[in-house]
Amino acid sequence: MTYLFNQFNLSSPSWAVFSRSLAAIFGGYVLATSSSLFIGQLLLNSVGKYQAIHIGLLLSFIVYACAAMWVFSVSSASKAWGGLIKLNVFLFVATWLLMQLNGVAS
Amino acid sequence: MKDNFRQSMKWFHTWVGLIVGWILFFMFITGTLGYFYQEITRWMEPERPFIEHSISNEQLIDIAQNYLTKNAQGIDEWDIYLPTVRDQNLRVGWRHAPEAGKKRGRYQRAVLDINTGAKIDSRATGGGRLLYRMHYRLHYLSSKISYWIVGFCSMLMLLAVITGVVIHKKIFTDFFTFRAKKGLPGWLDIHNVLSVIALPFHFMITYSGLLFFLFTYMALSTNLQTNENEYSEMRKEIFPRSAHLESANQPSAMLDISSLYQQVKMSWKNDDLSTIEVFAAHDINAQVLFIRHETDITYNPKDQVMVSAITGDVIPQASKEYTAAGMIHNGFFSLHEGQFAGPVARWIYFFTGLIGTAMIASGLILWTTKRKPQQMKKANGPDFGYRLVEQLNIGTIVGLPIAIAAYFYANRLLPIDMIDRVNWEANIMFISWALLLIYPALRPANKAWSEQLQLAALVYMALPLVNLLTTDKHLINSLVQQDWGFAGFDLTFLAVGACFAFAAYKYKTLHVDKKVRKPTIKQEVIKESGQGSKQGETFGNEGLLNAPQVSKGNS
Repeated sequence: MTYLFNQFNLSSPSWAVFSRSLAAIFGGYVLATSSSLFIGQLLLNSVGKYQAIHIGLLLSFIVYACAAMWVFSVSSASKAWGGLIKLNVFLFVATWLLMQLNGVAS
Repeated sequence: MKDNFRQSMKWFHTWVGLIVGWILFFMFITGTLGYFYQEITRWMEPERPFIEHSISNEQLIDIAQNYLTKNAQGIDEWDIYLPTVRDQNLRVGWRHAPEAGKKRGRYQRAVLDINTGAKIDSRATGGGRLLYRMHYRLHYLSSKISYWIVGFCSMLMLLAVITGVVIHKKIFTDFFTFRAKKGLPGWLDIHNVLSVIALPFHFMITYSGLLFFLFTYMALSTNLQTNENEYSEMRKEIFPRSAHLESANQPSAMLDISSLYQQVKMSWKNDDLSTIEVFAAHDINAQVLFIRHETDITYNPKDQVMVSAITGDVIPQASKEYTAAGMIHNGFFSLHEGQFAGPVARWIYFFTGLIGTAMIASGLILWTTKRKPQQMKKANGPDFGYRLVEQLNIGTIVGLPIAIAAYFYANRLLPIDMIDRVNWEANIMFISWALLLIYPALRPANKAWSEQLQLAALVYMALPLVNLLTTDKHLINSLVQQDWGFAGFDLTFLAVGACFAFAAYKYKTLHVDKKVRKPTIKQEVIKESGQGSKQGETFGNEGLLNAPQVSKGNS
């Protein structure tokens, strides 16, 4: 196992870039999705269900872009992963709470 | 990533731009040509006549209706496209009933001769439509794969645009201090100017490009939030379409469409008819939709009028109110497609598109010029990665325009009755591109640049000549007839050829210049093991490509 880790050389710069790329591509995509869900619930009562979803979707690419830039600006890959996971969890929980507030049926 | 945010973003900008730069170049150049796709199609179907537009719309509608009544019997959906300055010809189309297991039926088109009312046969060609479809549909790949590749590249383009703004400290002051006076502008300056000059366009075109496939890319989110019914309701709210009745299978005689048009013309107060769509033709439910040339960036509901073809009454449409978000969404589509653009705006679109293309090209070249001095010092010659980027640059930035010219040559030179002609036009384009991508691997970079630039100049300058030899629609005829579509095409070829000739000339003089001034820098580089080249290659200075870049970086 240790041998394998050494083979992969997890501390090397190219591994870090690879890890960040994965974080940006997949973590960023999940964040784009979770943010769109959050906005969909947040604006539900003010602009109607479909438009709320639509606004969330329109903004998702901007969220995605910001997430990717942020991933490549922090000091380490693990920080990037940690931040993305925390933010995603926050958004999913907040969405769930809003759903309870708005009533799940709507 | 790096010490501070700006440094990190600079690194990020470099690499997101590089890894998909060549695909983006392809997307930008084919997309830019798309602004003239009708004109391109017309050039590629030279059998179609140039008509003087003196026949009234009513007469044209009668010709079309006659043809469709005879030749599209039993078909529910017809379309009639009136001649425009861009397209010149009266066209009709009709959709066959869908075959078993398919959603939509085959769509058949015909160009009509307005004097005889008969169909005009022209050569089989992909035309401008195939060329512009490549910018989002690529070629050879299935649409699903293409859309995701295009989406990935567009996302990186969006990132490159945003990071580009972030790393540029003095974006507006810089624009006015173009350092042309201090000798040659470096590639960084060129890249900056091309980026800043059309920044709103670059952002708009990239973001709106992503919006075209919003529901494909973000399917996870919509699936989580809506079921199938809600989804299609939401689509209808975002893209309101005029509803039409289906055929009731009760045949009935239709009124003349031209007589229906009279009242539509009255309500519009002009004769600016663009397209007619007929639904449930020759049925008790027959309706005709009259569509005017777009008058507004966000579709004007008054541009479409639906009339019953049995009673002649206007059928009021449910008001197509846009939501605020829907307005933004459709507005971006409109801006991306530029369908509303008149001749001047269309040329502006074309040139801004070219600026975007050149921005990508200059960014790619910048990547090599920045690394060149270091790479040249290496004992084994430049790295594989550096050589690869350089070759892809030459093969794409100069090679792709040559390949597009090859597409036009194929249209003129392939046998008219060739089987699968449409596909072979595109095949020849991609084969040419492949050859031009391989060629730089076999030549020293500076030679390859110079030779491909010369080739590009030659092929574009010779296109009007080939047009002269193979059709009667050559430049002299089209100028005499004042057929500006055709003449503009040939003249544009000549202009593009002249630009390439100038670039080739400039490249050569700069290259020679450098050699005379600093002959000592020229060094023999020993053959790198594992690389294809036979003889020890000579990497001289590369003129413009070696412009004093490193010393004056401002970012």
